[in-house]
Amino acid sequence: MRTSLFEEHVKLNAKFVDFHGWEMPIQYTSIIEEHKQVRSKAGIFDVSHMGDIIIEGKDAQDFISYLLPSDLSKAEVGKAVYSAYLNSDANMIDDTIAYKMSEERFLVIPNAATTDKIYNWIIKNKKDFKVVVSNISNKLSCIALQGPSASEVMKNIMPEANKLDHFTFMNASSKFPSKGLEDSTSVARTGYTGEDGFEFIIPNEHAPKLWEELLRNSDVKPIGLGARDTLRMEKGFLLSGQDFNEDRNPIEAGISWIINWDHEFIGKNILEKKKDNVKEKFRGLLSLDRTIPRNGNIIKLNGEEIGKLTSGTFSPSLSKGIGLGYLRADIKFDTEVTIVGKTGEGKGIIKKPRLV
Amino acid sequence: MIVKDGLFYTKTHEWVKLEGDVATIGITDFAQNQLTDIVYVDLPKIGAMLKAGDVAGTVESVKSAEDFYSPLTGKVTDVNKTLEKTPEAINKDAYSAWLYKMKVSNPSEVNSMMKKEDYEKFIKK
Repeated sequence: MRTSLFEEHVKLNAKFVDFHGWEMPIQYTSIIEEHKQVRSKAGIFDVSHMGDIIIEGKDAQDFISYLLPSDLSKAEVGKAVYSAYLNSDANMIDDTIAYKMSEERFLVIPNAATTDKIYNWIIKNKKDFKVVVSNISNKLSCIALQGPSASEVMKNIMPEANKLDHFTFMNASSKFPSKGLEDSTSVARTGYTGEDGFEFIIPNEHAPKLWEELLRNSDVKPIGLGARDTLRMEKGFLLSGQDFNEDRNPIEAGISWIINWDHEFIGKNILEKKKDNVKEKFRGLLSLDRTIPRNGNIIKLNGEEIGKLTSGTFSPSLSKGIGLGYLRADIKFDTEVTIVGKTGEGKGIIKKPRLV
Repeated sequence: MIVKDGLFYTKTHEWVKLEGDVATIGITDFAQNQLTDIVYVDLPKIGAMLKAGDVAGTVESVKSAEDFYSPLTGKVTDVNKTLEKTPEAINKDAYSAWLYKMKVSNPSEVNSMMKKEDYEKFIKK
């Protein structure tokens, strides 16, 4: 599959990878250069492979609050809420951002690999809720503008978006008109890099033009999925399918703040039982030598296994190896541990997931 | 992708330049491109005896850690120490950023390796 921006990536001489069936740019020049570009100025990402599902109807708010451990009835219209779908074991199927467009209309953004699974999950749990669910993923593109210069860049694109607070959004159909998609076209102050930034959720036909318009600013460079991964790892953000895959609950994963216990939601009963018995927690790891931690590396303390990494890379910001994974919850931060890597053992130190 | 004439190539994407019984060994431009930004190189030890096909070391990039294999049998006589400080030199020019040199036991081993045209076909598959 290809996004509406595929030809733009070809023109920019991108190196492509297969990402869950999508031909996506992994890099244009270099992962490290692109990473530093986003930390110092601004970059744009094609994230159109992610899904777009609309839930609308009289019961939309009740339904989505039942689907997610977050209570969307408590959020104001215009809020973008980070949350996760739990299965009946309270383990996370996918994480998502839910956009509250009105009490009767929500847009949810599942990950690329899980869009069909999540669509089916929503339909399966719809039961008697009076809602209509539509998967409009093939109609919308998503471009993320990220970096400390993002708001400066936005002045020439859509200046009114600079009024948005973090994790809020506004309708953008006047700039990106398309029949039937007026209610879904949005710009949000969200992202996956830990920097200030915006995400444009717009009709496909507008995407190439916006992409080119953004690149006309000399502070903006195109950024591939390689740097997207290193940027999110430095900030300790979870990657669906890798840092969790229906095997971890939100408490273990360190995002218990998404849970609102004062409402009913799928997995709640089990989660209540699990919450006081969390044996492993999502942690960050800094390498203390030349070791580059990798997904699957075993972590040991005094020769004893205390957990396993689910992500790892060379951090371009720190110029050293970093990792993320699930370690025994009773082991304190700043404990020195052994990383069992492919090229031998290395030393690391346990930190919070946010490493930069 | 650059493939140079006069070198011998392996299926595991190493190149060999043979001068008498001294072989200079590196990884190909195709390999560095697949790896993405290289950030660490673990080189063999000088004096080590390697057989063709043995793991000679590891190249680590932002994305992954990959072993490289000795294309020939012989004794390691020199390693490119500058790569410890500037591993990214391999991304810039994979054919000048050699990894190690060896005194080969049997120079005719290169006859089973690919030449430029064969390797070009091989990486297009």
